[in-house]
Amino acid sequence: MTPFNPITGVLIDDAALTIDELAQACSVERLWIQQHVEDGFLECTVALAMHDADRWPDWRFASRQLIRARKLVAFERDFDANPEIAALLVDLLEEIAELKRRLG
Amino acid sequence: MEFKDYYTILGVAKTADDAQIKKAYRKLARKYHPDVSKEKDAEVRMKEINEAREVLSDVEKRAAYDSLGSGHQAGQNFNPPPGWDAGYEFSGSSGSNSHRGPEDFSDFFSSIFGNSSRAGGGRRSAGPQPMQGEDHHAKVLIGLADAYIGSARMITLRAAKLDEAGRVVNEERTLNVKIPKGVAAGQHIRLAGQGSAGYGGGQAGDLFLEIQFTPDPRYHVDGRDVTQTVSITPWEAMLGAAIEVPTPSGDVQVKVPPNSQTGRKLRLKARGIPGETPGDLYLQLKVVLPPADTDKARELYETMARELAFNPRDVTAQSSTHAK
Repeated sequence: MTPFNPITGVLIDDAALTIDELAQACSVERLWIQQHVEDGFLECTVALAMHDADRWPDWRFASRQLIRARKLVAFERDFDANPEIAALLVDLLEEIAELKRRLG
Repeated sequence: MEFKDYYTILGVAKTADDAQIKKAYRKLARKYHPDVSKEKDAEVRMKEINEAREVLSDVEKRAAYDSLGSGHQAGQNFNPPPGWDAGYEFSGSSGSNSHRGPEDFSDFFSSIFGNSSRAGGGRRSAGPQPMQGEDHHAKVLIGLADAYIGSARMITLRAAKLDEAGRVVNEERTLNVKIPKGVAAGQHIRLAGQGSAGYGGGQAGDLFLEIQFTPDPRYHVDGRDVTQTVSITPWEAMLGAAIEVPTPSGDVQVKVPPNSQTGRKLRLKARGIPGETPGDLYLQLKVVLPPADTDKARELYETMARELAFNPRDVTAQSSTHAK
């Protein structure tokens, strides 16, 4: 591929990620994503009723969840943090980012 | 490639035990974790620290590293001697250190511990089983105007790969990527097949580009809504006016309603970032007073002071003027 032919990608959110795509993008197993959705640390874009573990083929994930999941993986891995603490940390970071954004 | 002194990176002695290594790692991880650190080189340092722990907290890897390490200084040019790893078997699993992709390791690490470790702990392929290559991630900064009209970006990526002789080489490649119109900050563009090559005939991974806007003091972006401050004169504010405003989507004629104060917001529907539901553009008015730096200006202000019975600190007078 020559660098001068622009390549077009897919905009995530227009096409959300499946559970396997999210797992692959974060270098984790599908089970890790399933557990984090069930525990409420990650959200999928489908109706809440579909959050049941056996509905995972229907789950879709938006861009924000990819950013969240990658941070959760990093905190759990780098600090040996349990998922609750990692999620709490990511929640706080999101809140700080939002406040900073509002401050402009 | 440079020799890496993992003991110096963690700040521990060569005789350090597991507990000391863990303690040193935790202290440094708190300081350099890129999601929380304020240090400039946090990402690079964290990668080194993780790599040092990966090696020193694993009995097999540490023994292999120690056998290589004597006689080398940090930063010194280093090439592993041929066949050096005979007799070492790397299981690739070191407890908590799973979930690592190839971008998490240096060339130095990869040259010693090879491709199996680069695939992440526990994901080592036992045979010629096809395995998909890892996904790569990068951030791309674009201007707000690029989100309005779309643009193309040249992106240079550096990744380690194995050449025909099995040596680790750095490969740089440049991609010309289309940034579609209507992207919002925090959204990803996925480029299929632009990640790591697959193993054993597996598919290549994907490349994820996370979009961020270059900070611009003129604009405040909230999802697809954009707010911009517009400076106006006191007479435009009070008498009303039609003014021309430069916006991210070009110059726009806007009507300032009479009796506008600083802070008033005018909404221009669907002039925010485009999309299925386009955002709105908010123009926040800011009245700027001309300085009283000439006799004429001073005289005008003196006339106003005399003729207008106006005290902005008198709340009751203010509300009665509004009621009229």
